Amino acid sequence: MPGADKETDLTERIEAFLADLKRGGSGTGPLRGSGEMARETTYLLRRITAQARWSSAGDLMEIIRNEGRRMTAAQPSETTVGNMVRRVLKIIREEYARSRGSSEETEQQESLHKLLTAGELSEETFREHFVHLKANVIEAINELLTELDGTTDNIAMQALEHIHSNEVIMTVGRSRTVEAFLKDAARKRKFHVIVAECAPFCQGHEMATGLSKVGIETTVIADAAIFAVMSRVNKVIIGTQTVLANGGLRAVNGTHSVALAARHHSTPLIICAPMFKLSPQFPNEEDTFHKFVSPHEVLPFTAGEILSKVNVHCPVFDYVPPELITLFISNIGGNAPSYIYRLMSELYHPEDHKL
Amino acid sequence: MSSRGGKQKKGNVTSEQEEEEQPLQAVLVADSFNRRFFPISKDQPRALLPLGNVAMIDYTLEFLTSTGVQETFVFCCWMSNKIKDHLLKSKWCRPTSPNVVHIITSDLYRSLGDVLRDVDAKNLVRNDFILVYGDVVSNIDVSQALQEHRHRRKVDKNISVMTMVFKESSPGHKSRCEEDDVIVAMDSKSKRVLHYQKTQGLKKLQFPMNIFQHGSDEFEIRHDLLDCHISICSPQVAELFTDNFDYQTRNDFVRGILVNEEILGNQIHLYVTQDGYGARVSNLQMYDSVSSDMVRRWVYPLTPEANFTDQQGQGCTHSRHNVYRGAEVSLGHGSQMEENVLIGRDTSIGANCHISNSVIGNNCTIGDNVVLDRAHMWNNVHISSNVEIHQSVVCDGAVVKEAVRLNKQCYFSMLPVSQVVIGPNLSLPEGTVVSMHHPEEEEEDDDDEFLSDDQEVGHSKDKTRQKAFNPAEVGPEGKGYIWKASMNDTEDEELAQCLWGLVLNPDPESDSESEASEESQDRSRSVSPEIDDVNAFQLEVLGTLQRGLEENIVCDNLVLEINSLKYAYNITLKEVMQILTRVVLEYPFQQQGTQLTTLQYTGSLLPLLKTWSPVFKNYIKRAQDHLDCLSAVEELFLEQDTHQTAMVKVLMKMYQLEILEEEAILKWFSTGATNDKSRQLRKNQGLQKFIQWLKEAEDESSEEGE
Repeated sequence: MPGADKETDLTERIEAFLADLKRGGSGTGPLRGSGEMARETTYLLRRITAQARWSSAGDLMEIIRNEGRRMTAAQPSETTVGNMVRRVLKIIREEYARSRGSSEETEQQESLHKLLTAGELSEETFREHFVHLKANVIEAINELLTELDGTTDNIAMQALEHIHSNEVIMTVGRSRTVEAFLKDAARKRKFHVIVAECAPFCQGHEMATGLSKVGIETTVIADAAIFAVMSRVNKVIIGTQTVLANGGLRAVNGTHSVALAARHHSTPLIICAPMFKLSPQFPNEEDTFHKFVSPHEVLPFTAGEILSKVNVHCPVFDYVPPELITLFISNIGGNAPSYIYRLMSELYHPEDHKL
Repeated sequence: MSSRGGKQKKGNVTSEQEEEEQPLQAVLVADSFNRRFFPISKDQPRALLPLGNVAMIDYTLEFLTSTGVQETFVFCCWMSNKIKDHLLKSKWCRPTSPNVVHIITSDLYRSLGDVLRDVDAKNLVRNDFILVYGDVVSNIDVSQALQEHRHRRKVDKNISVMTMVFKESSPGHKSRCEEDDVIVAMDSKSKRVLHYQKTQGLKKLQFPMNIFQHGSDEFEIRHDLLDCHISICSPQVAELFTDNFDYQTRNDFVRGILVNEEILGNQIHLYVTQDGYGARVSNLQMYDSVSSDMVRRWVYPLTPEANFTDQQGQGCTHSRHNVYRGAEVSLGHGSQMEENVLIGRDTSIGANCHISNSVIGNNCTIGDNVVLDRAHMWNNVHISSNVEIHQSVVCDGAVVKEAVRLNKQCYFSMLPVSQVVIGPNLSLPEGTVVSMHHPEEEEEDDDDEFLSDDQEVGHSKDKTRQKAFNPAEVGPEGKGYIWKASMNDTEDEELAQCLWGLVLNPDPESDSESEASEESQDRSRSVSPEIDDVNAFQLEVLGTLQRGLEENIVCDNLVLEINSLKYAYNITLKEVMQILTRVVLEYPFQQQGTQLTTLQYTGSLLPLLKTWSPVFKNYIKRAQDHLDCLSAVEELFLEQDTHQTAMVKVLMKMYQLEILEEEAILKWFSTGATNDKSRQLRKNQGLQKFIQWLKEAEDESSEEGE
């Protein structure tokens, strides 16, 4: 039975992905970087679409929603996974609507009338069977994958509009997107980058090595020196782990202090974030907002006796409120934090915000 | 001869390359072979005891799976049915699991040695494997260690048999188990272990000088290591356990390998890591510290909220100050969960409670005004109001009535299983152990301890019912028996022992597998073999050979007998060889008096050499062995200087019998002279001629070769 084989193969892949997610998520586990994570998730969702048993769009959405719930539960700090699941759900809705011949626009719009008659256009209406739906959905997911592949380049392309000659730019920790952004600008312009090391993980060191290799003048500073150095800085350009629904950030530890220092000196704070990092989650919505890892980096295990007398915590993320942020640069252009809600409604269907 | 050796080596190399593509295997020993957790472990095997509401064996399996192990053999003995049931229900036995778990049960395993001998007998491992106990909690990435191990085995042609994983942590660390405190001398460059000694109870340490005399010029002596009880073993380890039937524990093995290192040519290496976490829950003290480390997220990503066992409803949320809450937890008004608290699902807590540094299992009920500090509560525990519990373990289904105080500084009070009831209005002193099993019943049951299954436990429960509970001990409504009463100051030493080992069993004999015997073995090992032993051994060997000659025993059996004598008298292989040589050469004197002429001597000796040549061949294998044997021969003939002419004949015979190789003889002849006498000996005409002949023979053979 080839069908049964396919199915066990699929569940095996899903289990392996879940196990990888549980073992660390981006940066520490086998999956590195949220870009990679987004791609892996989308590949897996495409596979589910192709191999799982479903007859109508409603079935497929239910399957994907279930798997998505398990994936997000496995590593709640990786919002990218949930975002990709929502994108795929939206794709299915659109393809279904197109097959039925109704326009996408009307279904998108919220209106008082619609709120009153809510529930009318829910899962029941996704029961109709279309022969080409599967192929169309897979085709649309492929388009999404191409979009994902190009995000970093799309962001980097805008670098020359934002970075000018002889500017001093500060960044914090390591972000692949920011690294590509700065490197792209360095092809034409000369500027100086100050990297805050971002203790205790000190990814800033890696970032600085990467930048200096392509000939950018780079300085590494301790996190404590951020405020002191800020007065010389023209722009702060950082990456983030997640862009929240209110336009705030969930970014690596220490970003908040950078943002506050930038606000004090009225230095613009620019965030490089691809669209797949945009999450419908609000800050403090869930307990899973924070992620604490082993305190090893803060106080090494070798310290001995002292460990039984103190509590050591090692949080990974900071929350940066939207009012501190000047501009988001995503793969579809620059946006202000106040515009995030609009992007959100374009990317995700409101019914999918909660998986 | 030599060419054959070359071929063998080549064969090994190719087979090794083939082996590398095979999946990584692991041997998990789901039995402790001791009774540290007694009487809890009477009803629940240690591997299934909950640590942070998850069975310990799940941590071990998750560790193995995350390191990429694809096949795990779980060996169970005590209560194997329960372990089997647990594993079959868990995610490890689902068809999608990347790690295939095989469960092997037998009531006959009494030690790690038995398990590994069975591994060898069943031929389960084909390649390097990871050896762990079922109570190891770790997140160490051993792939680096694995790589180093494989590299060493490739370069040194199977000399390295084991790599032990240690974690750096300074002395005094609470996750260091004092029982496992070791001092290790190692070669800094090759990470080879030169000396390995447990330091528990030792005030003086001795290092044999010879370990520092060879090898590289840099050594490290380390005491800042925590034994993670994770070892990467080559398949030879199982074979070595089969060959040496007296090895019971890994400690025996390591010491055995180190003592015989020069003879067998096996080495043990060390992998010291700074990252990650690894510890074995080997006693209650360790249970407490590993549990608190886990709640404090040292074992990330194996944290309570990760729900790595993938069980429905086991998930919990993590909030500030390391407070974890399962589903459906209710918390009364004014109750505080201060820090490092883990609460399982469906647990309800009354008003005005103070909880800190504690783990509470599923389905527990806790009354009002309860103070819990460093308490470990398992599932279905019922605690009434106004109870204070400090640093105690309360096991499944126990009931603690009103106003009971499990005392401050009270080390572990254990209230294991089947509705132990305590109180009301009682204060239990430190170190109290309460169980539904009567302590005396232990003595009756001891003989069939390891064979008894669930049925018998039920049977013994019936027996206990007949004995009355003592209300003074467990309270007016109490049910259960006190195992160990409070400790006075005068019993400080015993308290310490209880703390670390929790030696609860009044009958030391039943502990045959556990620490008591281990320690005594250690003691005998650490003392170097005395002269008396050597002499006695020599006499025994002589007796054996004599009997062998009289009763015409096959040489293989003689070897077996000499091997067992070797262990009985604790003699190294080098000494065995020297003594054997000496005994054989002296044999004619022993039989026919010392007044033999040289001719008579050689006449009676040469047939003997022929008969016993297989025995010699068994012991003389490497170049160093040849030299040792030759020096023994030389020593004897220096003593018997009237018979020096016979030496040539002996050497000739041994050469012809292929006991000795010509290269070794030549090497001995050219380098061995250390004093006047031996130089004199080498001037013997017969010997000179023999050497001359050997050299010519060698030239000829090499010419032929060309």
